[in-house]
Amino acid sequence: MQLRLGIGAILAAIFLVTYATPNWVSTPSNVRNIVLSPLFWPYILGGLTGLIGLGLALSGWRGDPGEPVNDPIPDPGAGAARLVGFAALMAVTFWAMPHLGMVWTSMLAFLALAFLVKTRHPAAAVICAVAVPLILYAFFAHVASVAIPQGELVRLP
Amino acid sequence: MSLYDSVMAGLALVGNLEAFLSLAIGIVIGVVGGAIPGISATMAVALALPFTFPMAPINGILLLLGVYKGGIFGGSIPAILIKTPGTPASSATILDGHPMAERGEAGRALGMALWASCTADFVSNLALIFFAGFLASFALSFGPPEFFALILFSLTIIAGVSGESLLRGALSALLGLLLATIGLDLVYGTNRFTFGDPNLMGGLNFIAVLIGLFAIPEVINMVWHPTGHVGKVQKLGSKWVTFAEYKRCFRSIIRGSFIGVFLGSIPGIGAAPAAFLSYSEARRKSPNKANFGKGEIEGVAASEAGNNGVAGATLIPLLALGVPGDVITAIIIGAFMVHGLQPGPMMFVLNVDIIYGLFIGLILSSGILFIVGGLAIRGFRPVADIPKRILMPMVLVLCIYGVFAVNNNIFDVGVMFAMGWVGFVMGRYHIPAAPFLIAFILGPLLEDNFRQSMLMSGGSPDILLRGPITWFFWTLTVISIVAITRGTLRADRAGG
Repeated sequence: MQLRLGIGAILAAIFLVTYATPNWVSTPSNVRNIVLSPLFWPYILGGLTGLIGLGLALSGWRGDPGEPVNDPIPDPGAGAARLVGFAALMAVTFWAMPHLGMVWTSMLAFLALAFLVKTRHPAAAVICAVAVPLILYAFFAHVASVAIPQGELVRLP
Repeated sequence: MSLYDSVMAGLALVGNLEAFLSLAIGIVIGVVGGAIPGISATMAVALALPFTFPMAPINGILLLLGVYKGGIFGGSIPAILIKTPGTPASSATILDGHPMAERGEAGRALGMALWASCTADFVSNLALIFFAGFLASFALSFGPPEFFALILFSLTIIAGVSGESLLRGALSALLGLLLATIGLDLVYGTNRFTFGDPNLMGGLNFIAVLIGLFAIPEVINMVWHPTGHVGKVQKLGSKWVTFAEYKRCFRSIIRGSFIGVFLGSIPGIGAAPAAFLSYSEARRKSPNKANFGKGEIEGVAASEAGNNGVAGATLIPLLALGVPGDVITAIIIGAFMVHGLQPGPMMFVLNVDIIYGLFIGLILSSGILFIVGGLAIRGFRPVADIPKRILMPMVLVLCIYGVFAVNNNIFDVGVMFAMGWVGFVMGRYHIPAAPFLIAFILGPLLEDNFRQSMLMSGGSPDILLRGPITWFFWTLTVISIVAITRGTLRADRAGG
């Protein structure tokens, strides 16, 4: 784990120093001193990330006795499938909010998540899925005066 | 403004029902949040933050401080009753609290936890009141080089002690600093990693990052392993703590409170080490040391005094220097910012009414915690029975609304989702999230002070060592790095 993390940090640092910073950070042409340039800080951070990555990789390569281990779960395949499902749920939620409105999207996201993790209380899940977004809507829209997205279909008062 | 005027100005702010209710509601939310395994005090504060937006600044901040204090005590309830700490700070409470619960003395253990918590909280609040003003007046003489050295020291110690490894803590802090570079450059206003997107020009929204980092990974963890935690709730029993027992444990409680105050005032240490240190000191000095670990009430008192002693003291660096000492105060600094306030020495000059209002509110909070905590002990069972697979979808929906409400921007919800996955991956690789968040907050401040120093000196780095204050912080930084590295190497050798 430590070795993989270290290699990942080194690769990220190389990418940051050689590509990301020169291409994605703009600097005025009249900056005389490099320490005052907008480029300076990202370069320093990139370099330090590389050094830390090197340290992690070395300690992983030497076989660090303190290397942490994650607790195993009974069904890693199903767990991974659920994670993919949840990532898709997040993407759909993000996309649907401006179209369906935050309240309806939240209701669907609540239900989808509750059933994704196989809730043993489906009736309570349905009640909460309807009630929680409505209560939050009432608070944020009418107390906090936040313009909660209403969507294009059903609009709430 | 004289001290009398300042106190009166503070009283004018908090001497009303609204402020009192904000504090009380905050404590209730905190105790309930801390008592639910999976919703730590940190998550409770993060989730409560968006609800403070429409409130007056003092009421919003008092509510969050109430959540913080309630959450730290609330964590002891599941620690004693179901052997699962509601917050990491309550881990030491399990050692003696749960054996007492197994003997049918849960009510007695919880009662002592409450008394010790309230006493330590009170001591901690007094320490805050006495030391924050003094430290702030000292910090008024800080310039950019001094602040740069101070922030660097804070980040070093936070990265070093927050997790299991200095390297992983440092990587976390560097990632936070990198993320903080997104947006327009502080001096020239040019784009940095914005890809021409106007949503990124102001930088990533702090609240989206923090909720994404601390609440969403809990939801993802539950998706990964939905039946991860099921615990058996012990009965309270008929025995309750007596005043004689409180008196017997008083020395350990006061010692633990001071340990908490001392460790809490150093950025990065946090409540869990304070609880363990207080516990081990109580065991070392107690005539009943043989009973420790087998259900000794003094052990519960010491660990709870240790972790609650931290609660007020972590606000010392926050209010006096503008440096959050732990994750929860990092979230609270967000509340200050949302309300247009900047914690730090200048706040003691410009917003002295708010400072004294907070002090008065904090003193009140110990009493309110005593009442709310007593009720929560008796009403824990329904809280423990909330199904996690209903609770987490609720958390997801709360996060969506809360993050959107900050800027009325759906982009922030996307940032929160992305940060949730970052937090989950960090958790799988045992990279602590606290240095990431604190570095993300302090990053612009660190860079700004560095570049101001360079502008002042015409690019000469000598200015970073210009006086005794900078030397003091640089020395502390070097000592911390050496001590943490030596500790890590020693632990590795012992493990190998």
